[in-house]
Amino acid sequence: MGNAKRFILAVLLVSVLFTNGGCSRKDTKSDQLTICFAFQDLETEYWVAAHKAITETLKAKNIRVLQRNAHQDANRQLEQVRDAIAQDVDGIIMIPQDGQSAVTIIGEANKAGIPIGVFNRPPADRSNPALVVVADNTAIAEDAVAYMAKAARRLNRKITPLILVGDLGDQNSIERKNGFYNAVNANPDLFKKPIEVPTKWDAVTTLANLEAALQVEPGVDFIFTSSDFLYPQIKAVLEPLGKWKPIGDAGHVILGGLDGDSTAYKLMREGYVDATGVQDLFFEADAIMKALIEAIEKDRTKPDKWIQDPGFALTQENMAERQMDMWGCRILKEAEAGTTK
Amino acid sequence: MPGGIVLSDHFVLVLTVVYFLLIWSIYPHMAARRNIANLFSNVWPLLALVIGQMFVLIVGGIDLSQTSIMAVTSVLGAMIMAGRFDPAKFEHNPLWGVVFSEQGGLLAGSGWAVPVAIMLMLAVGVGIGFVTGLAVAKLKMPPFMVTLVAMSFFSGLAIYLTRSENIMHLPESFIAVGKGSIGPVPSAMLIVVTLAALAFVILNLSILGRWLYAVGQNIRTACVSGVPTGRVVILAYVFSGFCAGLGSILYSARLEAGRPTLGRNLLLDVIGAAVIGGISLYGGKGRVLAAVYGVLFFVVLDNSLNKMPLEFYSIDIIKGGIILLAALLDALRTRIASRQTVPEGIS
Repeated sequence: MGNAKRFILAVLLVSVLFTNGGCSRKDTKSDQLTICFAFQDLETEYWVAAHKAITETLKAKNIRVLQRNAHQDANRQLEQVRDAIAQDVDGIIMIPQDGQSAVTIIGEANKAGIPIGVFNRPPADRSNPALVVVADNTAIAEDAVAYMAKAARRLNRKITPLILVGDLGDQNSIERKNGFYNAVNANPDLFKKPIEVPTKWDAVTTLANLEAALQVEPGVDFIFTSSDFLYPQIKAVLEPLGKWKPIGDAGHVILGGLDGDSTAYKLMREGYVDATGVQDLFFEADAIMKALIEAIEKDRTKPDKWIQDPGFALTQENMAERQMDMWGCRILKEAEAGTTK
Repeated sequence: MPGGIVLSDHFVLVLTVVYFLLIWSIYPHMAARRNIANLFSNVWPLLALVIGQMFVLIVGGIDLSQTSIMAVTSVLGAMIMAGRFDPAKFEHNPLWGVVFSEQGGLLAGSGWAVPVAIMLMLAVGVGIGFVTGLAVAKLKMPPFMVTLVAMSFFSGLAIYLTRSENIMHLPESFIAVGKGSIGPVPSAMLIVVTLAALAFVILNLSILGRWLYAVGQNIRTACVSGVPTGRVVILAYVFSGFCAGLGSILYSARLEAGRPTLGRNLLLDVIGAAVIGGISLYGGKGRVLAAVYGVLFFVVLDNSLNKMPLEFYSIDIIKGGIILLAALLDALRTRIASRQTVPEGIS
């Protein structure tokens, strides 16, 4: 058979498939729920822990989970969610790449009549209805920085604050920055003009930018990181400068962050970090799953509800009472208990 | 005869169909109308990029800057036509008040906004292609190095121009370019099929096409034969830049935003699809149909992996493995073909 004939045969096969092969949406529907969990990547401990909590809980409920990693590519995430919609999933949980792409992807789910839940990183606007669980980032950051300011005041001098700013395409970053400024602006006599270091939520970028910032302004004595996953970079920059000192030592840089991961907990326990804002990861994961499953069961295709995680600031003062409310502490203690068994 | 199928020009299509049927037998949703629509909506913008990349591969080069052209043209176009800018995100931008403001981009609200933005996006793509082509052809710089540097430079420029912010509020008429349709036909399909037809005419029916293959097969011989090799190489990069600009239009429209990170992870898909289609990395070999087949296979593969209840990391492993297998098959085909001394047509 010649090439041309084979080609025609192949085209015919494809045509038959595309014209008559389309099966209806309900053809293969089983009783088991299927949820697509589309996440942007797992680059931080927070996302890894959230991924684990969500997938394990859903599987324990006998729900089929389709996991899709977009590798920080908004277009890929859009394609993955579209594919999941075509697969007739019952619901979608998404950690979007950013707030803008979240709006577009929610729109796709709305159009298809599939309920969608957005975890922790909210859409840029509320034009398309979705279930959204998000921490009160402004308040949590403000509380953590307020405690750091209290510690700074004891030094009886003007302080040079620095903030590691996240990707400003992410609403969480903007709110954390706002919380930082709320606390700094409440103490005009204490602080000099803050230095902003962009991180784009990337460890390598953070390292380079923080090094550059401290070369220009070596007097920085107050650092707030918009995410705890950047503590190793802070340590890598401060240590060679002789500024990585525990609380109480001369030259200690007042440190704080937000997330509540195990690194932050360890550094608080060792006395390097003064305060950290804690998002209640387990509450957030549980809330989004409950809300989505309820929407599926009640056949609500476009549920519209924003659930807020109030969070809190874990400080050196309240650590003894509240450390077990910090998800990073719980994970660490579980791991430590596991290794000692 | 199996050897015949393997050596066929349509081998990748046959492979795609067989694979599709196999997956369809396991996952019936594969052939659902919505899924087919998804498959094709993913094909068009990728195909635009692969066609552009093919021109550069044919002349023995490689264009790693395509994705950065997408990023920079995406934000430049959006700056012209976006209807609104959020001051909280953009007021510290050096272009605030000059190119855009809270009321939108330079031509926001004007009927010219979308056509001018589209023309600008294509022109910038062409311009960057011209510069990289010039560096390769006239300065004799290695294409890999030139386009790698261009990728780094223009990706950085896109982030600098926007301070890493996405630009939303693009006009509906622009979004329709990527997501709309004319009658039952998606507009993206119309655009890319036109591009493919243009590429076909250039490669198969024009003297430029012959020159492109001649340069890729042996640049010295081509030069001795009177082919203006420098201009041909530059034109290949210009066409690649044009295609990247077009890809940027389609991707920006479907994502409804100008994005400084647009296409950041797309390069493997572009080059992977080209190689799977049978476009040689050594130059002198490539056809429009090969690009179509490569993209089809790649998109079907991606789509099918999304159907499977696999752990996310195993999807990446399987995808990488299948691309490697396809590349191995291509090498095998080339070896069998050379043993049988099958004459290779230029087109």
